[in-house]
Amino acid sequence: MGGKRIKKDKRQKREDYRAAMKRDDISELPRKKFYRQRAHANPFSDHQLIYPPHPDQMDWSSLYPHYIVENKPQNQKDQPPPSQPSSQTVSGESPVYSDNDSTPEPPALRRISKDVEVADIGCGFGGLLIALAPTMPDTLILGLEIRVSVTQFVEDRIKALRAQSLAQSETEGGDAAPAGLYRNVGVLRANTMKFLPNFFRKAQLSKVFICFPDPHFKARKHKQRIVSATLASEYAYVLRAGGIVYTITDVPDLHEWMVQHFDAHPSFERVGEVEQEADPCVGIMRTETEEGKKVERHKGAKHVALFRRLEDPEW
Amino acid sequence: MILPYHLVKVCGDAVFIAKGSDIHAFTSNFEHVSTWKYPVQQPIVESKAPSTETPESPAQDGPPTKRRRVEPKKDKASNGHQTESKNGQHKSKKAAQYDVPANERPFVQGLYATGDGRHLVAITGSDKTVWVFEHSGGGNIKLLSQRWAHTYTNPHLLGFVSLNMVPRAMPKRPCSLTFTRDNLTILAADKFGDVYALPLVPSSTPTAETTPDPIATGTPTTTQPPSRSETPSTPNPSAFRPQADAFTVHTKRNLKALENQKISLGRRALQEQLNRPQFELTLLLGHVSMLTYIAVGTAPSTTAECKTREYIITADRDEHIRVSRGMPQAHIIEGFCLGHEDFVSRLCVAPGGREEVLISGGGDDDLFVWDWVGSRLLSKAAVFEHVKKFPGSEKLTKIAVTRILACEWDDGIGVFVTVENITAIFFYELLPDNTLAYREAIPVPGYPLDIDVLNASGTTTKEPRLIVPLCMKSDMANSSVITMSRCGEERWKWEPIEDMPVGDDVNISETELGKIFFSTETLRKLSDFD
Ligand SMILES: C[S@@+](CC[C@H](N)C(=O)[O-])C[C@H]1O[C@@H](n2cnc3c(N)ncnc32)[C@H](O)[C@@H]1O
Repeated sequence: MGGKRIKKDKRQKREDYRAAMKRDDISELPRKKFYRQRAHANPFSDHQLIYPPHPDQMDWSSLYPHYIVENKPQNQKDQPPPSQPSSQTVSGESPVYSDNDSTPEPPALRRISKDVEVADIGCGFGGLLIALAPTMPDTLILGLEIRVSVTQFVEDRIKALRAQSLAQSETEGGDAAPAGLYRNVGVLRANTMKFLPNFFRKAQLSKVFICFPDPHFKARKHKQRIVSATLASEYAYVLRAGGIVYTITDVPDLHEWMVQHFDAHPSFERVGEVEQEADPCVGIMRTETEEGKKVERHKGAKHVALFRRLEDPEW
Repeated sequence: MILPYHLVKVCGDAVFIAKGSDIHAFTSNFEHVSTWKYPVQQPIVESKAPSTETPESPAQDGPPTKRRRVEPKKDKASNGHQTESKNGQHKSKKAAQYDVPANERPFVQGLYATGDGRHLVAITGSDKTVWVFEHSGGGNIKLLSQRWAHTYTNPHLLGFVSLNMVPRAMPKRPCSLTFTRDNLTILAADKFGDVYALPLVPSSTPTAETTPDPIATGTPTTTQPPSRSETPSTPNPSAFRPQADAFTVHTKRNLKALENQKISLGRRALQEQLNRPQFELTLLLGHVSMLTYIAVGTAPSTTAECKTREYIITADRDEHIRVSRGMPQAHIIEGFCLGHEDFVSRLCVAPGGREEVLISGGGDDDLFVWDWVGSRLLSKAAVFEHVKKFPGSEKLTKIAVTRILACEWDDGIGVFVTVENITAIFFYELLPDNTLAYREAIPVPGYPLDIDVLNASGTTTKEPRLIVPLCMKSDMANSSVITMSRCGEERWKWEPIEDMPVGDDVNISETELGKIFFSTETLRKLSDFD
């Protein structure tokens, strides 16, 4: 029937659009309407996720191509290396970890010169990542998002922004312009509730952002919340001593819930208000996330809480 | 079809073998001592509210929130004195789960012995209950309960279970349990990823009182023996407990008080309260994944030279092996042993002074050998490769490891591995260089469902004997338990244990039998076949 055809056309349009966005040189920013997806993905189901069995087997080179450490010296310095060819595609996403079953020896990973240090858990459409990137240009930032098309949106957004920034620095010319922003930011599709330790080693991160997480109001859905006593242990595991968990939400109950769980966890202490407000990341978190903007439009309250990872006691 | 004997546990100088919901006790010479039968008349299970349980399939991972609907109709019936057997519908659900219409008794799903052999612990599956028995030696066991219980040495009296007896039903179905090294605490890992500590022997008086409205405050009381809170730098260990998971001891009076607040609390909140266990239970750690196995290992303390520290090692369906500190610092994750690419179903900490070595197996082709303290892979040993060479298995494409048993053997460490649906036991040796040397596939006359080892104590011959319950599938009448020992290189002799007690038999279809006793493969993720 007619309805069906319209639906198909719509899907076709979406696919065409997103295929076009895949081109490397594209500098047009992606449009959200082609990437919308239903609000929730069940974190308990298997999905079809790609993740490395061990952080050492994670191929970061396709996410941060400008940081690749070349084994052989190369001549072109300013040229970004070609992005990793797609060897395996699962449900439309581009692979970041290629699992090559047929060859006994996995191809050597292309190493990058730095480790990811900042993670945005459930990054949504990536507003925080984009805003953070220029403020810490020497730090690798990673967004993690469970929804496929939302992740794709952020990936395309980063690609476009990188291209724009590069073009700008070229036209403005010389050494004055920045060498190209957004090279330090990447995004991955992942279920962080299950697979955080597959991507990050112990104490690898200095900052973890949990911005406007899904509230899961119903009590029987509380187990799906991205903050819990047991998950706090995993955030503590990936964070180094002194590292910070940033939380923000417009839902008072959820704010209380997060405070209660991190406060009760012996590995964390709440960061005082003075220090909190002095942290530039807090301002960015308030204003730059998509959810934060939405709350702003509705003139809602935003509740912020920061927690510091403490040194582990002796054992 | 009749049920096979499916679990075996050596406990001190005795051997316990489970079949269906019965546990048979034997001396080390396999003389039958007694049989414990799951109480026919269901005891009061105050902590359980009916109707929230849905049939669970092992492949189901994580809380099946959608299916966990509280049906308002049955809500009316839920009060603190609800007995499960009153609820006909619940009964039929349970029956449907096993498809054993004539029998509502949950099967024994796990059988464990404390290190000192003085306690035997059983898990029964569908009612999520942990049963603790005191073992006075020679196979004589006495059921301990949460509050108070008659002592039963005569198995024939077991039908008369006092209504005061309250077994400990866990919030979620336990998958595996183990004990702290002092044998005082049970560590139970469940299907929804959480690990709880509960005292092996529950205090006889439910001392801890909670506020009448634990939902709002949820402040638990005594949770750990004082001796465990020895680390001064650890904040109040009870602080590590979220409100929603704050369990504590509730007296009947409290439940009454709760009931009176029914209206103000709202139905669902009350339901949740009633769902909480009425005994001492502490949430230690959790994965967002189904846990498959839990083990405890010890390692030298990083600070005090002479001291050792305990660690909790947990494995899940999502390929993870996690190493956490023991109590009271179980909230600290020390590391992960990562490398498996399919589910992990079994862990085994090496015996014989090799405790720093962990062997793991599951849906992968290989066994993994770990330095679990350093989160380091030491070696791998092929299993699939050897299974494929086993007659009749040439066409297999995947395997599921079901058991890994390591024991001192011929001045070394023998490792015995069983694989689902393979009529053999795979024998390896853990070498001093931390590799597993494959020795042989020992054919057995049936599918091994479990394995344990008996070191014939009191005799000078050190030769250990394996005890293996076998399932015949097609010829159930021949299901048996065999003992195996080695007589010379590559030569094994086995013999069935004679005169096994039969018990009343349950009719079970072959499909159902497969679902219950051959379900490890269902841990594999479907996407793997794509
Ligand atoms: C309400 S949105 C907030 C997005 C963004 N942080 C912001 O502030 O605009 C929450 C996001 O978390 C994602 N999410 C939920 N559970 C997740 C999980 N287990 N792993 C990764 N992402 C998850 C959701 O898909 C959703 O995009």
